[in-house]
Amino acid sequence: MHEPVGPALLVWLETSGFAQAMRQWLWLYPIVEIVHIGGIVLLVGGAAMFDLRLLGLGRTLSVRRLARLLLPWSVVGLALVAATGLMMFTAHATEFWVNPAFAVKMSLIVLAGLNAALFHRGIYRTVATWDVDLPPPPRARFAAAASLALWLGAISGGRLIAYL
Amino acid sequence: MTSIRHARAARLLGGLLLGGVAAGALAHHGWSGYDADKPLNLTGRIEASGYEHPHGFVRLQTPEKTWNVVLAPPYRMENRGLPRELLAPGNEVTVYGYPHRTNADEMRAERITVGGKTVDLR
Repeated sequence: MHEPVGPALLVWLETSGFAQAMRQWLWLYPIVEIVHIGGIVLLVGGAAMFDLRLLGLGRTLSVRRLARLLLPWSVVGLALVAATGLMMFTAHATEFWVNPAFAVKMSLIVLAGLNAALFHRGIYRTVATWDVDLPPPPRARFAAAASLALWLGAISGGRLIAYL
Repeated sequence: MTSIRHARAARLLGGLLLGGVAAGALAHHGWSGYDADKPLNLTGRIEASGYEHPHGFVRLQTPEKTWNVVLAPPYRMENRGLPRELLAPGNEVTVYGYPHRTNADEMRAERITVGGKTVDLR
Protein backbone atom coordinates (compact mmCIF):
# COMPACT_ATOMS: atom_id res chain seq x y z
CA MET A 1 0.00 0.00 0.00
CA HIS A 2 2.77 2.41 0.99
CA GLU A 3 4.64 3.37 -2.17
CA PRO A 4 8.35 2.49 -2.00
CA VAL A 5 9.68 6.05 -2.17
CA GLY A 6 12.83 7.17 -0.38
CA PRO A 7 16.60 6.61 -0.34
CA ALA A 8 17.68 4.28 -3.17
CA LEU A 9 19.07 1.62 -0.84
CA LEU A 10 15.78 1.42 1.05
CA VAL A 11 13.75 1.23 -2.17
CA TRP A 12 16.03 -1.57 -3.33
CA LEU A 13 15.57 -3.42 -0.02
CA GLU A 14 11.81 -3.00 -0.05
CA THR A 15 11.39 -4.15 -3.64
CA SER A 16 13.69 -7.17 -3.21
CA GLY A 17 12.34 -10.70 -3.52
CA PHE A 18 12.94 -11.27 0.16
CA ALA A 19 10.91 -8.20 1.14
CA GLN A 20 8.07 -9.39 -1.08
CA ALA A 21 8.19 -12.79 0.56
CA MET A 22 8.04 -11.12 3.98
CA ARG A 23 4.92 -9.21 2.95
CA GLN A 24 3.17 -11.93 1.00
CA TRP A 25 3.92 -15.30 2.59
CA LEU A 26 1.18 -15.94 5.07
CA TRP A 27 3.35 -17.28 7.87
CA LEU A 28 6.79 -15.74 7.41
CA TYR A 29 6.01 -12.33 8.92
CA PRO A 30 4.25 -13.71 12.02
CA ILE A 31 7.07 -16.22 12.63
CA VAL A 32 9.66 -13.46 12.38
CA GLU A 33 7.63 -11.32 14.80
CA ILE A 34 7.42 -14.20 17.28
CA VAL A 35 11.19 -14.78 17.17
CA HIS A 36 11.70 -11.02 17.55
CA ILE A 37 9.61 -11.02 20.74
CA GLY A 38 11.47 -14.09 22.05
CA GLY A 39 14.72 -12.22 21.40
CA ILE A 40 13.41 -9.20 23.32
CA VAL A 41 12.60 -11.46 26.27
CA LEU A 42 16.17 -12.80 26.38
CA LEU A 43 17.86 -9.46 25.75
CA VAL A 44 15.78 -7.15 27.92
CA GLY A 45 14.86 -9.84 30.46
CA GLY A 46 18.52 -10.61 31.15
CA ALA A 47 19.48 -6.94 31.17
CA ALA A 48 16.59 -6.00 33.47
CA MET A 49 17.37 -8.74 36.02
CA PHE A 50 21.01 -7.67 36.05
CA ASP A 51 19.89 -4.04 36.42
CA LEU A 52 17.78 -4.92 39.45
CA ARG A 53 20.82 -6.52 41.06
CA LEU A 54 22.83 -3.37 40.29
CA LEU A 55 20.10 -1.27 41.88
CA GLY A 56 20.69 -3.19 45.08
CA LEU A 57 18.12 -5.99 45.00
CA GLY A 58 19.28 -9.56 45.73
CA ARG A 59 22.51 -8.33 47.27
CA THR A 60 23.43 -11.81 48.52
CA LEU A 61 23.89 -12.89 44.89
CA SER A 62 27.31 -12.34 43.35
CA VAL A 63 27.14 -9.68 40.63
CA ARG A 64 29.85 -11.45 38.63
CA ARG A 65 28.16 -14.86 38.79
CA LEU A 66 24.83 -13.32 37.85
CA ALA A 67 26.50 -11.57 34.92
CA ARG A 68 28.00 -14.87 33.79
CA LEU A 69 24.53 -16.42 33.59
CA LEU A 70 22.46 -13.53 32.25
CA LEU A 71 24.62 -11.53 29.90
CA PRO A 72 25.50 -14.27 27.37
CA TRP A 73 21.75 -14.90 26.99
CA SER A 74 21.22 -11.20 26.46
CA VAL A 75 23.76 -11.37 23.63
CA VAL A 76 21.86 -14.32 22.11
CA GLY A 77 18.69 -12.21 22.38
CA LEU A 78 20.45 -9.29 20.71
CA ALA A 79 21.46 -11.50 17.78
CA LEU A 80 17.85 -12.70 17.39
CA VAL A 81 16.28 -9.24 17.54
CA ALA A 82 18.88 -7.78 15.17
CA ALA A 83 18.37 -10.50 12.55
CA THR A 84 14.56 -10.53 12.74
CA GLY A 85 14.43 -6.75 13.07
CA LEU A 86 16.39 -6.37 9.85
CA MET A 87 13.99 -8.80 8.15
CA MET A 88 10.97 -6.75 9.19
CA PHE A 89 12.72 -3.51 8.29
CA THR A 90 13.40 -4.89 4.81
CA ALA A 91 9.69 -5.57 4.25
CA HIS A 92 8.72 -1.93 4.93
CA ALA A 93 12.04 -0.09 4.71
CA THR A 94 10.87 3.25 3.31
CA GLU A 95 7.87 3.32 5.65
CA PHE A 96 9.94 2.60 8.77
CA TRP A 97 12.54 5.13 7.69
CA VAL A 98 10.07 8.01 8.09
CA ASN A 99 8.25 6.57 11.13
CA PRO A 100 8.99 8.71 14.22
CA ALA A 101 8.45 5.79 16.62
CA PHE A 102 11.07 3.78 14.71
CA ALA A 103 13.55 6.67 14.95
CA VAL A 104 12.95 6.97 18.70
CA LYS A 105 13.27 3.22 19.17
CA MET A 106 16.57 2.96 17.29
CA SER A 107 18.00 6.00 19.10
CA LEU A 108 17.11 4.50 22.48
CA ILE A 109 18.71 1.18 21.50
CA VAL A 110 21.93 2.99 20.55
CA LEU A 111 21.86 4.84 23.88
CA ALA A 112 21.21 1.58 25.77
CA GLY A 113 24.21 0.02 23.98
CA LEU A 114 26.43 3.00 24.82
CA ASN A 115 25.26 2.90 28.43
CA ALA A 116 26.11 -0.81 28.68
CA ALA A 117 29.51 -0.28 27.02
CA LEU A 118 30.37 2.61 29.37
CA PHE A 119 29.28 0.53 32.35
CA HIS A 120 31.40 -2.47 31.41
CA ARG A 121 34.45 -0.37 30.55
CA GLY A 122 33.92 1.85 33.59
CA ILE A 123 32.59 1.11 37.05
CA TYR A 124 32.21 -2.63 36.36
CA ARG A 125 35.99 -2.95 36.40
CA THR A 126 35.84 -2.39 40.16
CA VAL A 127 33.14 -5.06 40.67
CA ALA A 128 35.46 -7.20 42.82
CA THR A 129 35.10 -4.63 45.60
CA TRP A 130 31.25 -4.70 45.62
CA ASP A 131 30.53 -8.13 44.15
CA VAL A 132 28.37 -9.46 46.98
CA ASP A 133 26.62 -8.30 50.18
CA LEU A 134 27.54 -4.64 49.57
CA PRO A 135 25.59 -1.76 48.09
CA PRO A 136 26.56 -1.24 44.44
CA PRO A 137 28.28 2.13 43.84
CA PRO A 138 26.08 5.03 42.67
CA ARG A 139 27.53 4.94 39.17
CA ALA A 140 26.48 1.29 38.79
CA ARG A 141 23.00 2.11 40.07
CA PHE A 142 22.72 5.04 37.72
CA ALA A 143 23.73 2.84 34.77
CA ALA A 144 21.14 0.25 35.84
CA ALA A 145 18.33 2.81 36.13
CA ALA A 146 19.28 4.27 32.75
CA SER A 147 19.35 0.80 31.23
CA LEU A 148 15.85 -0.03 32.51
CA ALA A 149 14.44 3.27 31.28
CA LEU A 150 16.12 3.00 27.87
CA TRP A 151 15.01 -0.59 27.24
CA LEU A 152 11.43 0.11 28.31
CA GLY A 153 11.49 3.13 26.02
CA ALA A 154 12.86 1.05 23.15
CA ILE A 155 10.10 -1.55 23.62
CA SER A 156 7.47 1.20 23.71
CA GLY A 157 8.89 2.81 20.58
CA GLY A 158 8.96 -0.52 18.80
CA ARG A 159 5.36 -1.32 19.62
CA LEU A 160 4.20 2.16 18.60
CA ILE A 161 5.67 1.83 15.09
CA ALA A 162 2.42 0.14 14.09
CA TYR A 163 0.32 3.02 15.43
CA LEU A 164 2.08 6.08 13.96
CA MET B 1 18.83 -0.58 55.27
CA THR B 2 18.21 -3.32 52.77
CA SER B 3 14.46 -2.86 52.89
CA ILE B 4 14.84 0.90 52.29
CA ARG B 5 16.95 0.22 49.23
CA HIS B 6 14.48 -2.39 48.08
CA ALA B 7 11.63 0.06 48.46
CA ARG B 8 13.58 2.67 46.52
CA ALA B 9 14.36 0.25 43.70
CA ALA B 10 10.76 -0.96 43.62
CA ARG B 11 9.48 2.63 43.48
CA LEU B 12 11.84 3.41 40.63
CA LEU B 13 10.81 0.32 38.69
CA GLY B 14 7.13 1.03 39.37
CA GLY B 15 7.55 4.56 38.05
CA LEU B 16 9.20 3.32 34.89
CA LEU B 17 6.46 0.77 34.29
CA LEU B 18 3.74 3.37 34.81
CA GLY B 19 5.51 5.66 32.37
CA GLY B 20 5.56 2.90 29.79
CA VAL B 21 1.86 2.13 30.24
CA ALA B 22 0.98 5.84 29.96
CA ALA B 23 2.98 6.11 26.73
CA GLY B 24 1.10 3.09 25.38
CA ALA B 25 -2.29 4.50 26.35
CA LEU B 26 -1.61 7.75 24.48
CA ALA B 27 -0.96 5.88 21.26
CA HIS B 28 -3.38 5.70 18.39
CA HIS B 29 -5.47 2.63 18.27
CA GLY B 30 -5.33 0.85 14.94
CA TRP B 31 -8.73 2.25 13.96
CA SER B 32 -8.59 5.69 15.54
CA GLY B 33 -6.93 7.19 12.48
CA TYR B 34 -10.24 6.58 10.69
CA ASP B 35 -13.40 8.57 11.21
CA ALA B 36 -16.18 6.15 12.22
CA ASP B 37 -18.67 9.04 12.21
CA LYS B 38 -18.46 9.22 8.44
CA PRO B 39 -19.05 5.68 7.22
CA LEU B 40 -18.70 5.10 3.50
CA ASN B 41 -20.20 2.51 1.23
CA LEU B 42 -18.15 2.36 -1.94
CA THR B 43 -18.60 0.22 -5.01
CA GLY B 44 -16.01 0.03 -7.71
CA ARG B 45 -13.57 -2.00 -9.70
CA ILE B 46 -10.27 -3.29 -8.30
CA GLU B 47 -7.37 -1.54 -10.01
CA ALA B 48 -4.66 -3.29 -8.00
CA SER B 49 -4.52 -5.26 -4.79
CA GLY B 50 -2.07 -6.63 -2.25
CA TYR B 51 -2.49 -9.71 -0.10
CA GLU B 52 0.17 -8.45 2.26
CA HIS B 53 1.38 -7.98 5.82
CA PRO B 54 0.46 -6.17 7.91
CA HIS B 55 -2.82 -5.51 6.01
CA GLY B 56 -4.12 -6.38 2.59
CA PHE B 57 -5.39 -3.54 0.41
CA VAL B 58 -7.20 -2.79 -2.81
CA ARG B 59 -6.96 0.26 -5.01
CA LEU B 60 -10.63 0.77 -5.75
CA GLN B 61 -11.70 2.69 -8.81
CA THR B 62 -15.03 4.42 -8.14
CA PRO B 63 -16.83 6.93 -10.36
CA GLU B 64 -15.47 9.82 -8.25
CA LYS B 65 -11.90 8.75 -7.60
CA THR B 66 -9.55 5.90 -6.80
CA TRP B 67 -9.46 4.90 -3.12
CA ASN B 68 -6.75 3.07 -1.23
CA VAL B 69 -8.80 0.65 0.83
CA VAL B 70 -7.05 -0.96 3.80
CA LEU B 71 -8.31 -4.48 4.49
CA ALA B 72 -7.16 -7.01 7.11
CA PRO B 73 -4.10 -9.20 7.78
CA PRO B 74 -3.78 -11.81 5.01
CA TYR B 75 -4.28 -14.86 7.17
CA ARG B 76 -7.47 -13.42 8.65
CA MET B 77 -8.82 -12.72 5.16
CA GLU B 78 -8.05 -16.24 4.02
CA ASN B 79 -9.50 -17.71 7.19
CA ARG B 80 -12.77 -15.81 6.73
CA GLY B 81 -13.22 -16.86 3.14
CA LEU B 82 -11.61 -14.01 1.22
CA PRO B 83 -8.84 -15.77 -0.72
CA ARG B 84 -6.43 -13.72 -2.79
CA GLU B 85 -8.22 -14.66 -6.06
CA LEU B 86 -11.31 -12.70 -5.01
CA LEU B 87 -9.18 -9.55 -4.89
CA ALA B 88 -7.96 -9.94 -8.47
CA PRO B 89 -7.78 -6.70 -10.49
CA GLY B 90 -10.95 -6.14 -12.53
CA ASN B 91 -13.28 -7.64 -9.92
CA GLU B 92 -16.23 -5.55 -8.78
CA VAL B 93 -16.37 -5.07 -5.00
CA THR B 94 -18.30 -3.08 -2.41
CA VAL B 95 -16.64 -1.98 0.80
CA TYR B 96 -18.16 -0.49 3.92
CA GLY B 97 -15.73 1.43 6.11
CA TYR B 98 -14.36 4.71 7.32
CA PRO B 99 -12.27 7.43 5.68
CA HIS B 100 -8.81 8.25 7.01
CA ARG B 101 -8.78 11.47 9.01
CA THR B 102 -5.89 13.01 7.08
CA ASN B 103 -5.23 10.97 3.91
CA ALA B 104 -8.10 11.94 1.65
CA ASP B 105 -7.78 8.87 -0.59
CA GLU B 106 -7.53 6.25 2.14
CA MET B 107 -10.30 4.33 3.87
CA ARG B 108 -10.34 1.27 6.09
CA ALA B 109 -12.92 -1.39 5.36
CA GLU B 110 -15.04 -2.92 8.07
CA ARG B 111 -16.44 -5.41 5.56
CA ILE B 112 -16.15 -6.21 1.91
CA THR B 113 -18.59 -7.75 -0.56
CA VAL B 114 -17.15 -9.51 -3.57
CA GLY B 115 -18.62 -12.17 -5.84
CA GLY B 116 -21.87 -12.18 -3.83
CA LYS B 117 -20.00 -12.89 -0.60
CA THR B 118 -19.66 -10.51 2.35
CA VAL B 119 -16.66 -10.87 4.65
CA ASP B 120 -16.09 -9.06 7.96
CA LEU B 121 -12.57 -7.73 8.19
CA ARG B 122 -12.39 -6.42 11.76
